[in-house]
Amino acid sequence: MAGGGGSSESGEPEFQIAPMIDVLLVLLVFFMSITSAEVLKVDQNIVLPVSPNAKKREAEMSKHEMAVNVRWDDKTSEASVNVDDRDYPDLTQLVPYLQERVKRDPKVRVVIRGDRLLPAIEIQRVMNVIGEGGIADISFAASNK
Amino acid sequence: MGSHRSKRGSGEVNLGFQIAPMIDVVFVIMLYFMVMAGAVQVENAHNTKLPGTVQVENTDTPMPDEIAIRIEDDGQVYLNDDPLDSPENKGLPELASNLGQLRESSEASRAEVLVTIYANEQAKYERVVDVLDALSRARISNVTFQAGAPE
Repeated sequence: MAGGGGSSESGEPEFQIAPMIDVLLVLLVFFMSITSAEVLKVDQNIVLPVSPNAKKREAEMSKHEMAVNVRWDDKTSEASVNVDDRDYPDLTQLVPYLQERVKRDPKVRVVIRGDRLLPAIEIQRVMNVIGEGGIADISFAASNK
Repeated sequence: MGSHRSKRGSGEVNLGFQIAPMIDVVFVIMLYFMVMAGAVQVENAHNTKLPGTVQVENTDTPMPDEIAIRIEDDGQVYLNDDPLDSPENKGLPELASNLGQLRESSEASRAEVLVTIYANEQAKYERVVDVLDALSRARISNVTFQAGAPE
């Protein structure tokens, strides 16, 4: 690839480098923007269930969302709840934190990020705690593939 | 962005801006992002409201048609006590088409559909999400959860 540019005096069409760079940069920015999907505090220990028909997360709700990560250890068959990088072995301790979040932002929505192997009872426990915390708006996170 | 012409030859050491390596690098970065774009995993969500906390604004609304979906420990799904699809079937096509028909008939009688999911304690969360996926395919958004089996 050689450097070039400018118009040819002999009338022959010449390879223009500047517009090519412009196009390349636009393509680059496009692919960069579609790969960097906005993600909540993602917990790498969780394998989300797959649901191709789940809705895309609403952009205007993203600032009201908080994630409740529910991990599942298959070896010990134990679930653990993690919210904002803090573990809650006793779920009742989570209630005051949720109540405080509702006070700060009444439109808060809890995104439950549960591991796909979790028993349903664990999710129901978490939903109970969220209800006790005074939050009604919840959503279940799922991966698109 | 203007065009750049490099000065070459004539014994001078050229420390200027080199366009060819820049294009090479941009190409490599672009190829990387193009390949990554196909493999990107997006996190989607099923939105719902917890039961008991939703404020009723209008008490004159007709009672909705209630549908119960039960999920057993082995993954078998029951729609109003009728077993549908095999536990291994992730797509739940029978459930989705039945729910679609129920929604259409309820819409014809101007009633709303209310689906309650009864998941057994040891049923997998993945199966619950499969059912939520079938519900969103049937375009039913009025979903609640209940612990334990239906009475």
